[in-house]
Amino acid sequence: MNLKRAVPWIAFGLALAGAASSLLPSGKPRGFDVEAFGQIPVLEGGRVKPVDTIARNALLMIRGKQSASSEGRSIGPDEWLLDVMFRPEVADRQELFVIDDPEVLGLLGIQQSRNRYYSFATLAPRIDEIQRQYVAAEPIDPKVRSHFQSAIVNLFERMFLYHRLKNTVQLEGTPGLAAEIAARAGPGAPQRHQLLVELAHFKPLLPVTPAGDAWRSVGEALTGTTTVEPGLEQWARLGLAYQAQDAASFNRSVADLAATAALGRPDAAARSDHEWLFNAAQPFYSGMVIYVLALLAVFVSWLWRPVLLQRLAFGLLLAGAVVHTLGLASRVLIQGRPPVTNLYSSAVFVGWAAVLLGVVLERMYRRGFATAVAASSGFASLIVAHHLSVDGDTMEMMRAVLDSNFWLATHVVTITIGYSGTFLAGALAIGWVVRRHLTRRADPAASKAIVAMTYGIICFALFFSFVGTVLGGIWADQSWGRFWGWDPKENGALLIVLWNAIILHARWAGYARERGIMAMAIFGNVITSFSWFGVNMLGVGLHSYGFMDKAFWALSAFVGTQLVLMLFALVPARFWSARRAEAAAPGKDRPEGASQPV
Amino acid sequence: MTLRTTNPVLRALVSLKLTIACLAALMVLVMACTLAQVKLGTWPAVEIYMRAWFVWWDVPGTELRIPVFPGGALVGLVLLVNLFLAQLVRLELAWKKVGLWISHAGLILLVLGEFVTGAFQVESQLAVEEGQTVNYVESPRELELAVIDVTDPAMDDVYSVPAARLERGGAIPIPGTPVAVQVRRFFRNAELARLGPADPPSPVTAGVGTGVAVRERPPVSRDDQTNQAAAFVEPVAGGRSYGTWLVSNGLGAPQSFTHEGRTYQLQLRSRREYLPFAITLKDFRHDVYPGTQIPKNFSSLVTIANPSRGEQRDVLIYMNQPLRYEGKAFYQASFGKGDTLSILQVVENPGWLIPYVSCVLVAIGLIVHFAITLRRSSRRRQAASEA
Repeated sequence: MNLKRAVPWIAFGLALAGAASSLLPSGKPRGFDVEAFGQIPVLEGGRVKPVDTIARNALLMIRGKQSASSEGRSIGPDEWLLDVMFRPEVADRQELFVIDDPEVLGLLGIQQSRNRYYSFATLAPRIDEIQRQYVAAEPIDPKVRSHFQSAIVNLFERMFLYHRLKNTVQLEGTPGLAAEIAARAGPGAPQRHQLLVELAHFKPLLPVTPAGDAWRSVGEALTGTTTVEPGLEQWARLGLAYQAQDAASFNRSVADLAATAALGRPDAAARSDHEWLFNAAQPFYSGMVIYVLALLAVFVSWLWRPVLLQRLAFGLLLAGAVVHTLGLASRVLIQGRPPVTNLYSSAVFVGWAAVLLGVVLERMYRRGFATAVAASSGFASLIVAHHLSVDGDTMEMMRAVLDSNFWLATHVVTITIGYSGTFLAGALAIGWVVRRHLTRRADPAASKAIVAMTYGIICFALFFSFVGTVLGGIWADQSWGRFWGWDPKENGALLIVLWNAIILHARWAGYARERGIMAMAIFGNVITSFSWFGVNMLGVGLHSYGFMDKAFWALSAFVGTQLVLMLFALVPARFWSARRAEAAAPGKDRPEGASQPV
Repeated sequence: MTLRTTNPVLRALVSLKLTIACLAALMVLVMACTLAQVKLGTWPAVEIYMRAWFVWWDVPGTELRIPVFPGGALVGLVLLVNLFLAQLVRLELAWKKVGLWISHAGLILLVLGEFVTGAFQVESQLAVEEGQTVNYVESPRELELAVIDVTDPAMDDVYSVPAARLERGGAIPIPGTPVAVQVRRFFRNAELARLGPADPPSPVTAGVGTGVAVRERPPVSRDDQTNQAAAFVEPVAGGRSYGTWLVSNGLGAPQSFTHEGRTYQLQLRSRREYLPFAITLKDFRHDVYPGTQIPKNFSSLVTIANPSRGEQRDVLIYMNQPLRYEGKAFYQASFGKGDTLSILQVVENPGWLIPYVSCVLVAIGLIVHFAITLRRSSRRRQAASEA
């Protein structure tokens, strides 16, 4: 009895401990304090971030993964960036560039094989040809580029990013930053400084004035200076030490750089440390794993020890929710923005709200069913978010018209909760269909409970999507004088509101019973996915390729599965596995809501 | 349902079936309107699907037009009647229904507001360069032929003819002047080019248009495209022709002719509405995030001078912070000319407050209703578990 009570808490604690374990120091590869290097704050993309974020995003863009392999071992993003910047001859031999397009490979004279990764050294001899093709393809509108053109533009841009990283602290092919500083007044120095200014991918040197935000690139710091500032000298020593593979000296330079930043810009350094922690913890990845475990626990509970395992699953779900919440809160703190700022963060947020609703539902109905649905919604949305994150920094700066924390916090968050509710109702309905067709046990009470949950969630979704839509209108009225402009995104939101309203009115009027409501709730998934992603593809048109092309097929496949599930929902009761449920209790199959609104 | 009527028409009008049918029809329209925007642009798609009473289908190869679907205006009207009557006939006046009453009242207001917007909202633009003073707004879509008497250096007399009138052709007398304008030809969209040897001879006999070839182009409507209209016009005064002129909104400088000592300018331009006040742009700012090209903020510091009110003051217009003045709202919309030109979107909508009120009503109504429902269902579950 005691064990049963303790089980959810044990599961909860173990899952959290597992998630926290990723924060343990991972040791120093070959004695280099790579983690401390990753924490150094620099400026890129308009905001201060740790070097680690730059390394991760760059590696993700170039290689599609957050790790590379060098000299037979797997290396992390920070170590990779060090190789690129200070040992380019080593980095050039690493198999970094993922190339899937057979025509691009053909251009390079390479036959497609199982290995999708190619080193810079392999590509370098054909760089003129790549550039020639890029110059031809780049002016073409991305909407109408062919597959090959998109792929070549993408490859060239990745190679250019790699080139910029190499030339951020010191010019490739020169002896290094220390020599550059020594020769700062020598012949050709201004040209080299100018090149460093133009190529720098990030700006590693603190602003001159303590309050300003004008961070400087190495080139900018070198131009026209006679004295050498400490930051510049520390980067130079760091480069020399890494080049010479002198771990002790490298670690000292890293510590000095960290001290310089902490002294000069304590706020930026603290924020950057927080972001590094967030990167290292990968809360959304841990959350995904925990949600899968919770889901598995529910599945097993249907076969064995239902009560115990359902509690265990609930404990895991709670742990997942906590990790997910911490991740979301970290993003809010780092960015200084409300949680939803772009498509990526909306996916994270949709899952989060669905999980919280699921937790509430599970507390109310205690059948393990809501746990399963919430865990799968959380998992699915984090997967979607992961696929949206490969474009680069997910914490980009907000364009001027969006730069309003008030409206981001009200309209965007409310409408995203509306998406979340509609998806959760759809997920509950899918769960109901699956259950109906798979289980042999008759359980009309459970079925009824699921219908009640779905109904409640649809009400919730209607409220939030309506309020969110109208708030969006008010924002539009405030920013360009048009409450309603029939813009695709507005229309998408309106479709969700209308559909939820139709479901509720059909139920109140008694036109749709259990099966009908459930099928309609599943169609809500189609509507929501259209207004969430579909309208973004409209502008792209029919000739879209590349990422959005894949997204289009993913969306179509999703819509297809939803339509099939709707058919399953509408199949008459006599075809169900759980049909005895209906047969055993004909009196209870009263059409609910037929007489009056509930 | 407690129906207090047996009249079949009324029963149909208040039925929930009609509500659902209207909502479904609205979904179809919204979807169609959204998809149509890809090809047509926002404005015509909204005109065809949302602001029309019917969606028409042009039977190919004939002049026939068949209404194939109710338009947004019709559906909105039916929904409005349905909501309103249902409120009176079907919904009982009971405390447990109070939430539905409030939210439906809010919805009625929202739909009404959209009708008000459709009927009365006027959108225009005000483009002003730094240091320049402007006392008019321009229509983004409509054009006019302006005939301006510029004889008096202190004051211009402006007469304007809407482009729709030009399209009909014929002679247009300009009231208050001896001038009549004979429209020879009007192009809704045209490409202007230097007259080449392969081009047919131009009918233009005066002004800058004599060396210009006008090639007709199909009109465009997408949001990122603009029509370049053109016309051949012949001003006639006192029985004397002043030649055939080319006018176009693609031509920069105005052209003029003199009749009996008075000089008249001819110009095809965006339709203007003059304001009883003037706006001067003191400074336009375009800030970016450090080290990037991502815009952080746009703002225009302007001075309003209104002699009728004896008012002269500075206003800062920036993102999400419009200026509301004399029934118009001025929004920072765009910019140009190396950040020295600011373009303000100007909107006049007498019903702009309606959505705010209706949003609050619907939200309160839904909260009240769902709270009542939740309390009842939790009470029921409690009773069931105790039984």
